[in-house]
Amino acid sequence: MFERIMGMFETVANEGHGSVALVFVIGILFGGIIQYSRVDKFEKIAGFAMLRDTVVPKMLFLAVGVAGIGLYFMIEAGWAHYHIKPILLGGLVIGGVLFGVSMAIFGKCPGTGPVSIAEGRIDVLVGAIGGLLGGLVFTLFYEPVFKPIMGPDLGKSVLTGGAGDYGSVTILVFGIALVAVSMLIPLRQEFDEADLNRLG
Amino acid sequence: MIRRIPWWAGGLLMALLLMFTFSIFGADRPIGASTYVPYFAGLLFNLDPEQYGYLKQIDGAGAWEGVMLLGALFGGFVTSVFITKSFRFSVIPTAWKKYKNGSVVSRLAWSFASGFFMIIGARLAGGCTSGHFLSGMSQTAISAMIFGGVVMATLLITGRLFYKKEAQDV
Repeated sequence: MFERIMGMFETVANEGHGSVALVFVIGILFGGIIQYSRVDKFEKIAGFAMLRDTVVPKMLFLAVGVAGIGLYFMIEAGWAHYHIKPILLGGLVIGGVLFGVSMAIFGKCPGTGPVSIAEGRIDVLVGAIGGLLGGLVFTLFYEPVFKPIMGPDLGKSVLTGGAGDYGSVTILVFGIALVAVSMLIPLRQEFDEADLNRLG
Repeated sequence: MIRRIPWWAGGLLMALLLMFTFSIFGADRPIGASTYVPYFAGLLFNLDPEQYGYLKQIDGAGAWEGVMLLGALFGGFVTSVFITKSFRFSVIPTAWKKYKNGSVVSRLAWSFASGFFMIIGARLAGGCTSGHFLSGMSQTAISAMIFGGVVMATLLITGRLFYKKEAQDV
């Protein structure tokens, strides 16, 4: 296994998507931002599912609105590239249902889970072990079971793609609308009792 | 030191990190967080990538996200110990006690099962909250919008059906 872990660093080093150190730092910042804004908490994610906490959707919509506008102009300037995921309808819908149900019950997602584990949450560690087995099952039965469910590739469409010359207008409207939504969602917060005590 | 930042500061910082990661000065790729799970499963159970086509397919993305995940664990640990001071071992979240039950077995069993299906779901959809919501929506990808709509709807329906309406005393 040691060899394969070394292989992971080697793959990243040779891939040209940033050095190992840079990718590690991106991870640190990702974990730090999630932890500092508290969106790794069960109270925030399951709380959103119960409509008792709105920090997650507010933060998500704001981030997407701002990054959407920024990215569009970065791509236009040649500073970034599109990396669009294809439309596999069966996979998106069935996967989306499984993901939505699990996210509400688990109160985590694959990005926030590890940050919670790093904070000492045992239940999330148990969920991660379940996730590893899920990943194992998916890998073992990918060809015979999961690939057929995912369905045919319907292409990599983007909203701005159909807008032609109006791409920049479309993205501005899209971005500003998302930022407005993030501000208009009423702020509701649900706290972890122990956490609140420490936060004073 | 401030122990928590407001949602708008978190959102802006996340947008900046996302743009940096996408840029040619950064990693020239999107942020994702669910491909590392089957990748690590492959490492842990010593599966041969030559034998399993899926492992071959995710070799690059899995490795990248694997390194990022190690960073996220480190970043989350340091922030929770030194900044938010929220590090503590716990098994049942406060809100689970309030709106579900106080049983350790129940929480762990549901965590295990939801963790299992969450990864199957994410891999079926080809992405998760990070890959589809953050990275995909920012590029106005239609695939991300379909995933986002389905997840939001089932999340809210599950939240309504799975938990109690009224809070129990904790």
